[in-house]
Amino acid sequence: MNTTITRGIEYLPRSRRRLVVAAALAGYPVAVAVLVALKHTSPNRWLILALFILALLPTVAALLVSYRYAQGRIDGRCARLDERDIALRQQAYALSHRVLAAILTVAAAVTVVYLTSGNTLRLDANNVLPATMWVIIYIPALPSLMLAWIEADRPADA
Amino acid sequence: MPDHQRRVHNRLAVLRAERGLSRKQLADKLGINYQTVGYIERGDYSPSLELALTIAELFRLPVEAIFSLKPMTPLSEEIFGEPPAETR
Repeated sequence: MNTTITRGIEYLPRSRRRLVVAAALAGYPVAVAVLVALKHTSPNRWLILALFILALLPTVAALLVSYRYAQGRIDGRCARLDERDIALRQQAYALSHRVLAAILTVAAAVTVVYLTSGNTLRLDANNVLPATMWVIIYIPALPSLMLAWIEADRPADA
Repeated sequence: MPDHQRRVHNRLAVLRAERGLSRKQLADKLGINYQTVGYIERGDYSPSLELALTIAELFRLPVEAIFSLKPMTPLSEEIFGEPPAETR
Protein backbone atom coordinates (compact mmCIF):
# COMPACT_ATOMS: atom_id res chain seq x y z
CA MET A 1 0.00 0.00 0.00
CA ASN A 2 1.39 3.37 -0.98
CA THR A 3 0.81 5.35 2.19
CA THR A 4 2.06 8.59 0.66
CA ILE A 5 -0.63 8.50 -2.02
CA THR A 6 -3.31 7.45 0.51
CA ARG A 7 -2.31 10.28 2.82
CA GLY A 8 -2.32 12.75 -0.08
CA ILE A 9 -5.84 11.77 -1.03
CA GLU A 10 -7.07 11.99 2.56
CA TYR A 11 -5.74 15.51 2.85
CA LEU A 12 -7.09 16.81 -0.46
CA PRO A 13 -8.78 20.15 0.25
CA ARG A 14 -12.52 20.26 -0.33
CA SER A 15 -12.22 22.49 -3.41
CA ARG A 16 -9.98 19.92 -5.12
CA ARG A 17 -12.15 17.03 -3.95
CA ARG A 18 -15.17 18.74 -5.47
CA LEU A 19 -13.31 19.07 -8.78
CA VAL A 20 -12.54 15.34 -8.65
CA VAL A 21 -16.21 14.56 -7.91
CA ALA A 22 -17.37 16.83 -10.75
CA ALA A 23 -14.89 15.13 -13.11
CA ALA A 24 -16.13 11.71 -12.00
CA LEU A 25 -19.79 12.65 -12.50
CA ALA A 26 -19.33 14.42 -15.83
CA GLY A 27 -16.69 12.11 -17.30
CA TYR A 28 -18.84 9.17 -18.33
CA PRO A 29 -21.63 11.19 -19.99
CA VAL A 30 -18.94 13.17 -21.83
CA ALA A 31 -17.21 9.95 -22.94
CA VAL A 32 -20.54 8.54 -24.20
CA ALA A 33 -21.27 11.83 -26.01
CA VAL A 34 -17.82 11.63 -27.65
CA LEU A 35 -18.54 8.04 -28.65
CA VAL A 36 -21.94 8.93 -30.16
CA ALA A 37 -20.52 11.97 -31.98
CA LEU A 38 -17.59 10.02 -33.45
CA LYS A 39 -19.76 7.11 -34.47
CA HIS A 40 -21.37 9.22 -37.18
CA THR A 41 -18.16 10.87 -38.36
CA SER A 42 -15.34 8.36 -38.36
CA PRO A 43 -15.40 4.90 -39.90
CA ASN A 44 -12.46 3.58 -37.86
CA ARG A 45 -14.00 1.84 -34.86
CA TRP A 46 -10.64 1.20 -33.17
CA LEU A 47 -9.93 4.92 -33.20
CA ILE A 48 -13.39 5.54 -31.75
CA LEU A 49 -12.78 2.94 -29.03
CA ALA A 50 -9.37 4.45 -28.23
CA LEU A 51 -10.86 7.94 -27.94
CA PHE A 52 -13.71 6.61 -25.80
CA ILE A 53 -11.26 4.94 -23.43
CA LEU A 54 -9.12 8.09 -23.39
CA ALA A 55 -12.18 10.18 -22.50
CA LEU A 56 -13.11 7.65 -19.84
CA LEU A 57 -9.69 7.56 -18.13
CA PRO A 58 -10.13 10.77 -16.07
CA THR A 59 -13.49 9.42 -14.85
CA VAL A 60 -11.95 6.13 -13.78
CA ALA A 61 -9.12 7.99 -12.03
CA ALA A 62 -11.57 10.36 -10.31
CA LEU A 63 -13.76 7.46 -9.20
CA LEU A 64 -10.73 5.63 -7.78
CA VAL A 65 -9.67 8.75 -5.88
CA SER A 66 -13.17 9.11 -4.42
CA TYR A 67 -13.31 5.43 -3.49
CA ARG A 68 -9.92 5.72 -1.80
CA TYR A 69 -10.99 8.86 0.02
CA ALA A 70 -14.14 7.26 1.45
CA GLN A 71 -12.66 3.79 1.86
CA GLY A 72 -13.70 2.09 5.08
CA ARG A 73 -16.11 4.84 6.02
CA ILE A 74 -18.89 4.44 3.45
CA ASP A 75 -18.84 0.65 3.44
CA GLY A 76 -18.55 0.54 7.24
CA ARG A 77 -15.45 -1.70 7.13
CA CYS A 78 -13.46 0.74 9.25
CA ALA A 79 -13.48 -0.70 12.76
CA ARG A 80 -13.54 2.68 14.51
CA LEU A 81 -16.26 4.83 13.05
CA ASP A 82 -17.05 7.46 15.63
CA GLU A 83 -20.18 9.61 15.86
CA ARG A 84 -18.89 12.18 13.35
CA ASP A 85 -18.00 9.47 10.81
CA ILE A 86 -21.44 7.89 11.21
CA ALA A 87 -23.23 11.25 10.90
CA LEU A 88 -21.15 12.08 7.81
CA ARG A 89 -21.91 8.68 6.27
CA GLN A 90 -25.63 9.23 6.81
CA GLN A 91 -25.39 12.68 5.21
CA ALA A 92 -23.50 11.19 2.24
CA TYR A 93 -26.13 8.46 1.74
CA ALA A 94 -28.98 10.98 2.07
CA LEU A 95 -27.33 13.32 -0.46
CA SER A 96 -26.64 10.48 -2.91
CA HIS A 97 -30.30 9.48 -2.67
CA ARG A 98 -31.35 13.05 -3.46
CA VAL A 99 -28.87 13.33 -6.36
CA LEU A 100 -29.99 9.98 -7.79
CA ALA A 101 -33.67 10.96 -7.43
CA ALA A 102 -32.97 14.26 -9.23
CA ILE A 103 -31.10 12.52 -12.08
CA LEU A 104 -33.84 9.88 -12.51
CA THR A 105 -36.56 12.55 -12.42
CA VAL A 106 -34.80 14.61 -15.10
CA ALA A 107 -34.19 11.48 -17.22
CA ALA A 108 -37.83 10.42 -16.90
CA ALA A 109 -39.06 13.95 -17.73
CA VAL A 110 -36.80 14.19 -20.80
CA THR A 111 -37.98 10.75 -21.98
CA VAL A 112 -41.65 11.70 -21.54
CA VAL A 113 -41.19 15.00 -23.40
CA TYR A 114 -39.30 13.19 -26.18
CA LEU A 115 -41.99 10.51 -26.53
CA THR A 116 -44.95 12.89 -26.33
CA SER A 117 -43.39 15.02 -29.08
CA GLY A 118 -44.15 12.26 -31.56
CA ASN A 119 -40.75 10.56 -31.42
CA THR A 120 -40.24 6.89 -30.85
CA LEU A 121 -37.63 5.30 -28.62
CA ARG A 122 -36.17 2.00 -29.73
CA LEU A 123 -34.76 -0.09 -26.93
CA ASP A 124 -31.66 -1.80 -28.27
CA ALA A 125 -28.11 -2.38 -27.09
CA ASN A 126 -27.00 1.06 -28.35
CA ASN A 127 -29.43 2.79 -25.98
CA VAL A 128 -29.62 0.38 -23.08
CA LEU A 129 -25.90 -0.35 -22.71
CA PRO A 130 -24.74 3.21 -21.86
CA ALA A 131 -27.59 3.59 -19.35
CA THR A 132 -26.83 0.21 -17.78
CA MET A 133 -23.13 1.08 -17.59
CA TRP A 134 -24.04 4.39 -15.95
CA VAL A 135 -26.03 2.51 -13.29
CA ILE A 136 -23.21 -0.01 -12.75
CA ILE A 137 -20.55 2.71 -12.51
CA TYR A 138 -22.33 5.43 -10.58
CA ILE A 139 -24.86 3.93 -8.19
CA PRO A 140 -22.25 2.12 -6.06
CA ALA A 141 -19.92 5.14 -6.31
CA LEU A 142 -22.40 7.90 -5.45
CA PRO A 143 -22.11 7.68 -1.62
CA SER A 144 -18.29 7.86 -1.83
CA LEU A 145 -18.50 10.78 -4.25
CA MET A 146 -20.95 12.59 -1.98
CA LEU A 147 -18.78 11.98 1.08
CA ALA A 148 -15.83 13.50 -0.78
CA TRP A 149 -18.09 16.41 -1.77
CA ILE A 150 -19.45 17.30 1.70
CA GLU A 151 -16.62 16.68 4.13
CA ALA A 152 -14.88 19.79 5.41
CA ASP A 153 -11.10 20.10 5.05
CA ARG A 154 -9.26 17.96 7.53
CA PRO A 155 -7.70 19.80 10.43
CA ALA A 156 -3.93 20.04 10.39
CA ASP A 157 -2.25 17.54 12.69
CA ALA A 158 -1.42 18.88 16.14
CA MET B 1 -22.00 21.35 9.34
CA PRO B 2 -25.54 21.91 8.03
CA ASP B 3 -26.52 25.59 7.71
CA HIS B 4 -29.54 25.25 9.98
CA GLN B 5 -27.35 24.22 12.92
CA ARG B 6 -26.11 26.88 15.30
CA ARG B 7 -22.39 26.89 15.72
CA VAL B 8 -21.20 25.54 19.06
CA HIS B 9 -18.12 27.38 20.32
CA ASN B 10 -15.64 25.60 22.54
CA ARG B 11 -12.41 25.82 24.49
CA LEU B 12 -11.23 22.35 23.70
CA ALA B 13 -7.96 23.40 22.06
CA VAL B 14 -6.99 25.59 25.04
CA LEU B 15 -7.86 22.92 27.59
CA ARG B 16 -6.07 20.23 25.63
CA ALA B 17 -2.93 22.37 25.35
CA GLU B 18 -3.15 23.25 29.03
CA ARG B 19 -3.20 19.55 29.96
CA GLY B 20 -0.40 18.77 27.51
CA LEU B 21 -2.50 16.36 25.50
CA SER B 22 -2.13 15.75 21.78
CA ARG B 23 -5.26 15.32 19.69
CA LYS B 24 -4.46 11.63 19.41
CA GLN B 25 -4.12 11.21 23.17
CA LEU B 26 -7.37 13.04 23.84
CA ALA B 27 -9.14 11.10 21.10
CA ASP B 28 -7.94 7.80 22.58
CA LYS B 29 -9.30 8.79 25.99
CA LEU B 30 -12.64 9.73 24.42
CA GLY B 31 -12.82 6.73 22.08
CA ILE B 32 -13.10 8.85 18.92
CA ASN B 33 -10.88 9.50 15.90
CA TYR B 34 -8.21 12.13 16.38
CA GLN B 35 -9.49 14.07 13.39
CA THR B 36 -12.85 14.46 15.12
CA VAL B 37 -11.08 16.31 17.93
CA GLY B 38 -9.68 18.69 15.31
CA TYR B 39 -13.09 19.18 13.70
CA ILE B 40 -14.64 19.95 17.12
CA GLU B 41 -11.84 22.39 18.00
CA ARG B 42 -12.30 24.18 14.69
CA GLY B 43 -16.07 24.35 15.17
CA ASP B 44 -16.76 22.24 12.08
CA TYR B 45 -18.45 19.53 14.10
CA SER B 46 -20.75 19.87 17.10
CA PRO B 47 -20.39 16.86 19.39
CA SER B 48 -23.37 14.90 20.65
CA LEU B 49 -24.56 15.60 24.18
CA GLU B 50 -23.02 12.31 25.26
CA LEU B 51 -19.61 13.21 23.84
CA ALA B 52 -19.79 16.77 25.25
CA LEU B 53 -20.56 15.37 28.71
CA THR B 54 -17.74 12.83 28.38
CA ILE B 55 -15.32 15.63 27.47
CA ALA B 56 -16.54 17.69 30.44
CA GLU B 57 -16.10 14.71 32.74
CA LEU B 58 -12.60 14.09 31.41
CA PHE B 59 -11.53 17.67 32.06
CA ARG B 60 -13.50 17.78 35.34
CA LEU B 61 -15.25 20.94 34.28
CA PRO B 62 -18.91 21.85 33.82
CA VAL B 63 -19.96 21.35 30.22
CA GLU B 64 -20.80 25.07 29.83
CA ALA B 65 -17.17 25.92 30.68
CA ILE B 66 -16.11 24.03 27.55
CA PHE B 67 -19.01 24.49 25.12
CA SER B 68 -21.18 27.53 24.48
CA LEU B 69 -23.60 28.81 21.87
CA LYS B 70 -21.99 32.26 22.19
CA PRO B 71 -18.38 33.04 21.27
CA MET B 72 -16.18 32.30 24.27
CA THR B 73 -14.14 34.92 26.03
CA PRO B 74 -10.48 34.10 26.77
CA LEU B 75 -10.06 32.17 30.04
CA SER B 76 -7.62 34.77 31.39
CA GLU B 77 -10.25 37.45 30.87
CA GLU B 78 -12.80 35.40 32.77
CA ILE B 79 -10.39 34.86 35.66
CA PHE B 80 -8.77 38.29 35.89
CA GLY B 81 -11.50 40.43 34.42
CA GLU B 82 -11.61 42.50 31.27
CA PRO B 83 -8.20 43.88 30.20
CA PRO B 84 -7.68 47.65 29.81
CA ALA B 85 -8.89 49.01 26.46
CA GLU B 86 -5.35 49.70 25.12
CA THR B 87 -4.30 46.02 25.45
CA ARG B 88 -7.31 44.72 23.56
